[in-house]
Formats: sequence, C-alpha cells, structure tokens
Amino acid sequence: MGNCFKTPSTDDITLLHDNDSQDGTQQAAPVPVGPPPPYQERAPVYYPSPNVSRPANMLTEDEQIKIAQRLGLISHLPTGVYDGCSKRGKECAICMCEFVMGEALRYLPCMHVYHKDCIDDWLMRSFTCPSCCEPVDAALLTTYETN
Amino acid sequence: MAVDQSALLLQRQLRDMIKNPVPGFSAGLVDDEDIYKWEVVIYGPPDTPLEGGVFKAHLTFPREYPQKPPKMLFLSEMWHPNIGQDGLVCISILHEAGEDKWGYESASERWLPVHTVETILISVISMLADPNDESPANVDAAKEWRENRTVFNKKVAKCVRKSQDEFL
Repeated sequence: MGNCFKTPSTDDITLLHDNDSQDGTQQAAPVPVGPPPPYQERAPVYYPSPNVSRPANMLTEDEQIKIAQRLGLISHLPTGVYDGCSKRGKECAICMCEFVMGEALRYLPCMHVYHKDCIDDWLMRSFTCPSCCEPVDAALLTTYETN
Repeated sequence: MAVDQSALLLQRQLRDMIKNPVPGFSAGLVDDEDIYKWEVVIYGPPDTPLEGGVFKAHLTFPREYPQKPPKMLFLSEMWHPNIGQDGLVCISILHEAGEDKWGYESASERWLPVHTVETILISVISMLADPNDESPANVDAAKEWRENRTVFNKKVAKCVRKSQDEFL
C-alpha cells in the first residue's frame, strides 16, 4: 500500500507503477516509460462504502487511503489461536460456531473475541464491535492511553 | 467458503427455530432447496390495531450474510409508515453498516453481523407496534398516522381482515 500517500512533486503515473511492482505478477518485467499497463483481474475486493464493492485496482485515491488506514488499524488488534480454554468466550457471535482448537481468533479492545476471518471481513465494512457496538478505533485509543 | 458459511448459519437458525418456536411469528423456507429465501408469518402484535392479523413476508438473504443484511418484503397488504407501498420493510437494522443516508443512524441501529432471523423479526414486530415516523417509507401512511389516527386505524383494520381472508 505504498501508493496511498500523495507526493507533491510527482504525478500519478509513478504511483501506479509502484502499485504494479508490489502486487503484480502480470507485469514482472520492469517497464521504465510509457503508459501504465491495463489493469488485470484477481485483485482483492474492498468495500469503500456500503453497496460499493470494487477490486483494489479500481479504487479512488481517497478510498485507497481509507482502506489502507483501516487495514493498518486492524493489524494492530491482537490475534491468537484458540487453545481450548479461552475465558472470553467459546463461540464466535458472527458465524455462531464454537471455537475449535487451533483456529485463529481476533481480540477486540472491548474484550469480545471472534474468528479472525469473520471479524476482519466485518471490520472492513464497519469499525465497530458487532456485539457491543463500541467503535473499535476509540477503544484502541483508550487502551493505548491506559497502557 | 463464504457461501458455505452463510448457508450453514441459516440452516442452523432454521433448525433452532423449528426446535424452539418464538411467539409472535413462524418461519420456514419458500422452497426447501433454497436456504436463502425464507417465508415468515407475523402475527399482529396484541393491543395494537394490527392484533389478529396474520401477515406473510419474505426474507431474502445475500450470499454475504451475515456480513450483509437480508431484505424483507411483506406479501400481505400493509398500511404502515415504515413499510413501502411495494411491501419493502425500511428499518435501520436492515440498513448496511456505514450507510447513513439521512445522517442520524448510529452504528448500533444499523445492520450487525450478529443479527439472526429471530432478532430481525423481533425488531420488525416492535416496528409494527411502534412506527417510526421520522424516516417513513410510506409518507402518506406516516402523515395519516400522525394527523388522523382514526382513518389510519381503519385502513390497518382492513389490512388485518384481508390478511385473515388470504390466510384461510
């Protein structure tokens, strides 16, 4: 996501090249000049706002920034693996399935626990805990302050 | 993967609901082969003008459920501020996360992936009993509910009778 921040002196073409070199297997050979290559398929799909789903390479710059920030924040939330004796709950409230030994979990600052995949998908749509509706970013700040 | 998860979750809810029916409504599938389309019958809440009504509705779930909300459509004729003339239910918990068309719905009022058929229908029943005229889907019904309750209740009574006739 190195292409998410504006550099005042350069233009968009260089930003696009950065993008290609990062996640592109399509254009492995370096292309120093000329127009950017046409975008290819198989980019991850994001939800910049409700009812809008777009592959990563079709996002506007603002949407890219928003999504990069969100991904960054999510990556700060602790994860773990279910070891069979979690005191914080035995079931994921999103898929309603009991945790199974070895499954990846994500812990929210409000102390609610979910499957990592279930909650990460949700947090990209809304940055709130589905169980208590606490905004995750506010709760994150509080944990930083108290630590 | 996501498709399987939503189907499993809905099957689980259907099983639970058959085992432990909830008063106020009954639920099943429109077609036994399609777990994403439910048919529900809501009983008009007691002590409201809707009492005695048996209202049929369909819930259509997207493959992305529970990350995205279902849509709910009444097949029975309804006269209610929060149900469109086409039967579409307009309540905030069925609005997708982040959606804030009118600028006043907080995250807790909107869709959450912890909602189930049961919690949705409980909200709908509460909406039936207690309309929210601030965001009407049926503006005429909302105006009448506010300004001319007698006429409003008469129209509702007609819907109740019609729902009973259709149910027989």
